[in-house]
Amino acid sequence: MNVHTSQSRTPAETALIDAFSERVGDLPGNADVAVARDTALEALKIQGLPSRRIESWHYTDIRTQLRSVAPFDAAAGSQPIAPLIAGSTVAAVSNGATISAGQVDGVTFEKLSEKLADGTFAPALATRSTDDLIGQINAAYVTDGWHVDIAEGAELETPLELQNLQKSGQSHVRFPVRVGKGAKATIIERQYGGEGEAFSSSISQLTVADGAEIVWIILRQHGDTSVQFCQFNAWLGKDAKLTLFVVNAGGKLVRQEVHVLAKGEGSDFQLRGINLLGGESHTDVTMTVGHLVENTTSTEIVRNVVTGRARGVFQGMIRVAKIAQKTDARMACNSLLLSDDAEFDAKPELEIFADDVACGHGATVTEIDQDHLFYLMARGIPEKEARGLLVKAFVAEIIEELEDEPLVEALEAILEDWLSAHG
Amino acid sequence: MLEIKNLHARIAEDGTEIIRGLNLTVKAGEVAAIMGPNGSGKSTLSYILAGREDYEVTEGDILYNGESILDLDPAERAAKGIFLAFQYPMEIPGVATMEFLKVAMNEQRKARGEEELKIPEFMKRVKDAAGLLSMDMGMLKRPLNVGFSGGEKKRAEILQMKLLEPKLCVLDETDSGLDIDALKIVSEGVNALRSPDRAIVVITHYQRLLDYIVPDSVHVLYKGRVIKSGDKTLARQLEENGYAEIIGEAA
Amino acid sequence: MPAVQETIEQVRNIDVDQYKYGFETLIETDKAPKGLNEDIIRFISAKKNEPEWMLEWRLEAYRRWLTLEEPTWARVNYPKIDFQDIYYYAAPKNQAGPKSLDEVDPELLKTYEKLGIPLKEQEILAGVRKAGELSPSGDEAVDGEVSDSVYNSGRVAVDAVFDSVSVVTTFKKELAKAGVIFCSISEAIREHPELVKKYLGSVVPTSDNFYATLNSAVFTDGSFVYVPKGVRCPMELSTYFRINEKNTGQFERTLIIAEEGAYVSYLEGCTAPQRDENQLHAAVVELVALDDAEIKYSTVQNWYPGDKDGKGGIYNFVTKRGDCRGKNSKISWTQVETGSAITWKYPSCILRGDNSRGEFYSIAVSNGHQQIDSGTKMIHLGKNTSSRIISKGISAGHSNNTYRGQVSAHRKATNARNFTQCDSLLIGNDCGAHTVPYIEAKNATAQFEHEATTSKISEDALFYVMQRGIPEEEAIALIVNGFVKEVIQELPMEFAVEAQKLIGISLEGSVG
Repeated sequence: MNVHTSQSRTPAETALIDAFSERVGDLPGNADVAVARDTALEALKIQGLPSRRIESWHYTDIRTQLRSVAPFDAAAGSQPIAPLIAGSTVAAVSNGATISAGQVDGVTFEKLSEKLADGTFAPALATRSTDDLIGQINAAYVTDGWHVDIAEGAELETPLELQNLQKSGQSHVRFPVRVGKGAKATIIERQYGGEGEAFSSSISQLTVADGAEIVWIILRQHGDTSVQFCQFNAWLGKDAKLTLFVVNAGGKLVRQEVHVLAKGEGSDFQLRGINLLGGESHTDVTMTVGHLVENTTSTEIVRNVVTGRARGVFQGMIRVAKIAQKTDARMACNSLLLSDDAEFDAKPELEIFADDVACGHGATVTEIDQDHLFYLMARGIPEKEARGLLVKAFVAEIIEELEDEPLVEALEAILEDWLSAHG
Repeated sequence: MLEIKNLHARIAEDGTEIIRGLNLTVKAGEVAAIMGPNGSGKSTLSYILAGREDYEVTEGDILYNGESILDLDPAERAAKGIFLAFQYPMEIPGVATMEFLKVAMNEQRKARGEEELKIPEFMKRVKDAAGLLSMDMGMLKRPLNVGFSGGEKKRAEILQMKLLEPKLCVLDETDSGLDIDALKIVSEGVNALRSPDRAIVVITHYQRLLDYIVPDSVHVLYKGRVIKSGDKTLARQLEENGYAEIIGEAA
Repeated sequence: MPAVQETIEQVRNIDVDQYKYGFETLIETDKAPKGLNEDIIRFISAKKNEPEWMLEWRLEAYRRWLTLEEPTWARVNYPKIDFQDIYYYAAPKNQAGPKSLDEVDPELLKTYEKLGIPLKEQEILAGVRKAGELSPSGDEAVDGEVSDSVYNSGRVAVDAVFDSVSVVTTFKKELAKAGVIFCSISEAIREHPELVKKYLGSVVPTSDNFYATLNSAVFTDGSFVYVPKGVRCPMELSTYFRINEKNTGQFERTLIIAEEGAYVSYLEGCTAPQRDENQLHAAVVELVALDDAEIKYSTVQNWYPGDKDGKGGIYNFVTKRGDCRGKNSKISWTQVETGSAITWKYPSCILRGDNSRGEFYSIAVSNGHQQIDSGTKMIHLGKNTSSRIISKGISAGHSNNTYRGQVSAHRKATNARNFTQCDSLLIGNDCGAHTVPYIEAKNATAQFEHEATTSKISEDALFYVMQRGIPEEEAIALIVNGFVKEVIQELPMEFAVEAQKLIGISLEGSVG
């Protein structure tokens, strides 16, 4: 697979690799962290940026699509923004540095830069595999982020909102979150910015202990000059429940990876993805779910609305290990193409080694249902409004599953805004 | 109010001719029943009236209050007061029934140059109409027609008809799939809408519905044409002797 | 459920040595020296009395091949193949070209008889009965679709390919009367060069992929079919491939052309002796359907799968592609894959003509240590094109069975339609079943529907069937048959029976 070693470096590769010698003096970390950073950079040097020949990047050829990398800009910092849900506890990072954290019982916020400096975070910088571009870039350059601990049994009444603000320039941050046994919380990961040229990576690492229940929302609101590479990793304990919403509404080149391992029996993972893609956006959601033990469940539903010249990608992989009997895993990917130049590519995979399972996936690509359109128009709703209503319905159906009124309303408002901007 | 003149129409996709020279006139205040065996073109007629693109009118015209409606799209026809109660109302996941009702009512009002309804007024109207049809408001919080039983769907159609206050109501096999109690409620709903300035076209296979919605005129449709017209006794005659006799006469 | 557990045990102990076509024919062979270089290619071309242009074509492909690397993306593992350790040409002595039946070596006739393929024109293929008598699924005859005289006659023309050469083609004269050309590709190169020149490599270019390029350089024989304008081929055409020699690769090349309004149904079968070492089979099949033409291509692939420890067996690396070149054309692939140690095969359709249609029906059964990575590609280029994919995978033993399929609608392919149903069944807990679809829509009017499921045999269904008095083994067989029925129905009847038997044998120990 070392097809790149013989190829010449692209300008983006050069920029990503060469910046290290300039940055290394300012990057936090003890010797162990330095080794981890070097290892990651070395892998990046060897592998280069992945092209479509690398299976996991088949539809997102970074080698040709990433033309340039926005340089670091010390002046790109900004203040925290208003949280999605009023009353949320906000912990913000801007331009790669922690800027503020609220206070709430049962939650401890610590600066990641300190955990890098003392080396305790070094083992968590390991990359996933040779094709883990996001892991490589982030481990080499990560500067800061909030390390969050939710105490055993804590039940948070208001959401935690982790803000990663990057209006322009470049940054690399992480949000390690540990949820104690039986705790309950809603966490909003707010990826916000991209007014100017921006390049950022962000990795969340979530451990959900036995019996804990987490609702996690990744909300991306970036401008059309922003490149963002994000990764969400989660490990689920016994009877743990994780509901993850990924809402993409903006960004020029976006890759959001989701990697979840069901390690405890009785655990359940729910993914709901909403991709609202317009303009020239290229947005890729790539997911792997590993069912490692018996009696675990997962359902993944991704809805895509693509218009303008945008291109969307969903790659989803359900893996069932040999001992993971009685796994029940379902995946669906439905796409609506609204313009002639829109494109969507889906690769929903099953990889199954246990025989007593019920697994399935479905994928559809469609236009707006003509019967539905006729029905609405027959009730006097003009075509444009009727189409808008159906597109909204296509996505709203997913949002409404949240059963959390303020959250549903906030997300629906984002949907409305996007529709009125792209309708 | 409605004048169909020598109408010929075919399925756009494959050119199959379904309506072959149909003539029909329905006056304001009239309840007209259209009956006919399966495959006679009853449902097609209702779709063509509502403006479904799957059918192509090749000859003839449809006049509504003296104006041709053939160039209007379904929404424009609806705004002019044409309402089709579907035989199989569409299930549309994700579209909340209440929101749908609000948008439809206001779009129609807008098209007619009327002011939009305020929320309390809208809510009141929906509640009143639902009450008359013995519908549970909880049902209206669900997505449009999703998970409704056959009877609930038909009731929801009549509810929409009530709220949208159309001038020409076309009921396509509204009795199919209804038990006797539901049939009574739906019929009462329709009867309450009878008025001198409104015409109702009831499309049905069976006479049963006409015991509850008594028609002023009955028209027998066969092979895309009206082969016989008469008053309500014609429906009885059909019930007793079947279609064969009339088809034989016409041939 | 203990009953199922017992079945699983039996599958675990399954011995793949029950391969019943594993015998070897002792016959004198004419071989090229081992290994591959330009001289070997010249040798093959000379043996076949090929014209100069054909040799040039081969050499060009060979030079191209030297620059290519073996593909690694498929989910199959095998030790690196030493391409210099293979014989690229082996032919029964005195059998350089197809002859009349009376001249064929009796040993060869016996071989084919043992395989159930009597090479006699008076007879019909083994296992063939008249339509209506046959009910492959045991519950209903599929005679509705086969009222055609083709099937009622029960006659099938056979091209028999033994190692590197075609030994005989039957019914040639009768086919010629209808204007149909059915002969070995070697003969076609000599007798119909204008057709071969025009179409060979036009669907699978010599540069297509590693194995197709290798095939272009060294292909030795295969079948050629040409059905002229407006002709419905009067009988089923069939090629039977047999690898006999040790260390020999089989590189067959098949080219089928259906002119405007023509129709042909073509069947392909394959077997090989049981040997400890792996053997390479790298075929290329090209189909061309012009306006309103239809080609139906069916395969029952039963190459030797290796023994219970995974030793030996055929490496089946095949490129099959159909080009729906004309408007309203149709190409349908049906395959039953039970053999080979490794299968790497994606019969595809290029839907170029407006309103053209592609179909892919597949049953892939893997047991022992078999590895299958198979599926299809439906490439929608023309307007109003449609495709349908039905894939049924059954994994048992220590095998891995992957469905890999691509459905793609290009910018101009308005109203492209696809339906894909892809189901996998796992029997036992040491095997794997994988599904890898690639769904690519570049046109807003495309409508694609893809569904996949993976499950084990439903215990409820098994209980229900057994409760009606059917023993477990038979109950499982019944359910497996139900599982694959949709595909079996697509096979010509001759193969439907054969295929069902094969699936039974392949899963022996679990489905009797």
